Amino acid sequence: MGYLNAIIILGGINIIAALGVAIITGYTGLFTIGHAGFMALGGYACAILVTTFHVPFAIALIIGGLFAGLCSFIIGVPAFRSQLRGDYFAIATLGLSEAIRLILNTTYKVVGGAFGFMGMSNLTTVPVVVIAVILALFFAHMFVTSQYGKNCIAISQDEVAAQMMGVNLLRTKLIALFISAFYAGVAGGLMGFYMAYLSPSFFTITRSSDLLAAVVFGGIQSLIGPTITAFVLVAVPELLRVFSEWRLIVYGLLFVIIMLFRPQGLLGYVEMNFAFARRWWNAVFTPHQAKQGTIKGDQ
Amino acid sequence: MSDSIFAMKNVSSEEISLKNLSVQFGGVRAVDNFSMTLYPGELVGLIGPNGAGKTTVFNLITNYIKPTSGEIFFMGKSLLGKSPDEICRMGISRTFQNIRLFPQMTAYENVELGLHNVPHYSLLEAFVRTPRARRAEAETRKRALELLEMVNLKDFAGERASSLPYGLQRRLELARAMATSPTLLLLDEPAAGMNEDECNELVKLIRQIHEHMKYTIIMIEHHMNVVMELCKNSRIYVLNLGSLLAVGSPKEIQTNPQVIKAYLGERKHARYNSNAGSQ
Repeated sequence: MGYLNAIIILGGINIIAALGVAIITGYTGLFTIGHAGFMALGGYACAILVTTFHVPFAIALIIGGLFAGLCSFIIGVPAFRSQLRGDYFAIATLGLSEAIRLILNTTYKVVGGAFGFMGMSNLTTVPVVVIAVILALFFAHMFVTSQYGKNCIAISQDEVAAQMMGVNLLRTKLIALFISAFYAGVAGGLMGFYMAYLSPSFFTITRSSDLLAAVVFGGIQSLIGPTITAFVLVAVPELLRVFSEWRLIVYGLLFVIIMLFRPQGLLGYVEMNFAFARRWWNAVFTPHQAKQGTIKGDQ
Repeated sequence: MSDSIFAMKNVSSEEISLKNLSVQFGGVRAVDNFSMTLYPGELVGLIGPNGAGKTTVFNLITNYIKPTSGEIFFMGKSLLGKSPDEICRMGISRTFQNIRLFPQMTAYENVELGLHNVPHYSLLEAFVRTPRARRAEAETRKRALELLEMVNLKDFAGERASSLPYGLQRRLELARAMATSPTLLLLDEPAAGMNEDECNELVKLIRQIHEHMKYTIIMIEHHMNVVMELCKNSRIYVLNLGSLLAVGSPKEIQTNPQVIKAYLGERKHARYNSNAGSQ
């Protein structure tokens, strides 16, 4: 049972962080291999708030997320101003995340340096994670279907056209990055209070690339795809412990195969929607109205 | 010549004026000392052989390319140093020579984007979708469908933009450009790749839009029938190798020997004259 709990919790945490990456990479079209850095920022901020300042866990999680979001501007403002795109932006995010990790690794005073930050209790339980994942999915869905989200999608499809149509690129990308980093920060906070300690070694480039892999495999412009793959990518190596060393090689292979045969990802452009549930509901409970609820041209 | 026009009319009533605009790419002067003035509600044509710098003029107006020298004024305000999105929100919208729709978005979403380039509600409202946000979205939807109807695309609202046939993509781009509620519309070869019938339809559509929405329009076009028809009561600017070759009514342009020379070349020019003489 404990083993299953571990998979659910770690899978849930990975889902939340991957949803963050989905917003910036899947929907806005900016590749990031630095979200481990934002997880670290959120995780440490949350841990310090709870242990030192006795802030309630839920509030500390949100503040940790906000802190990670604000720190994302450190890389966001200069990178978006100079119109960094594609690989260049990815490398910039990698640089920030490695800088964060190294700073944490060598700062012994408050955050414990390479020994890690200890003294947290195990507050991240299965119900907490499940609620957090549901909220994360709900709000991510709200964002990507809002006018803000649609502006992000437009940027990912044709940046020049989006700008010519009056979309403020800098502001829109910063909003997407902020929300994305917020998600990563919350995931980091949850992780610290599951592990009961935090170490800079949790937040290496491997974790960032795992998150990117979840989004690329799961699908561009989809929330449900990355959600599924983020969970699977945690669960499968856990279940097949023997092969966990081979995981990165398998990822690499999968990357190549997916890029060749399905560049939009497994569920690319498949919007998570509840139309099927509504149809089912209509069919079962209000059969005489089922035909009136046809969707107008917008979806 | 352009100076005399400035002197004649009140400067503040100008919609847009380009003054001695030049841009240089390395050693090439793509646009050379080009001036142009439009008054509200005008529809003028901009023609010239391939590579004459017509699209570059549009790129300069929207500040996608920065001019080497010269000035651009829109409603009395300088456009230099403004970003393309600011310029769009000031009221200049454009279409593209090579269609630039958002391929994976539906026709409806493409138009909608122009309407909410600045979202109508705050970020927090986006997360919880307050009634106000929902109302704003409903309003946007209504307006987007109206615009689609105006270009006869309402039946295709739910189709992915990339799956639409070419002619419809052009019209969709027009609807999207109109969605940003511009006062000046820059149309870059709206009739490119269209046959005779489609051209006639487009002429009707553009004229209708022009009269109905009171836009000022600059249109780049290679189809002479389209330009001559739409600009018959106004002017056509002819660009060649980056500089202004001629400006005048369609009739003046059609008979201007320099224009004919630029389009058809020296020798054919001679033949054209002899043909004209024999008729």
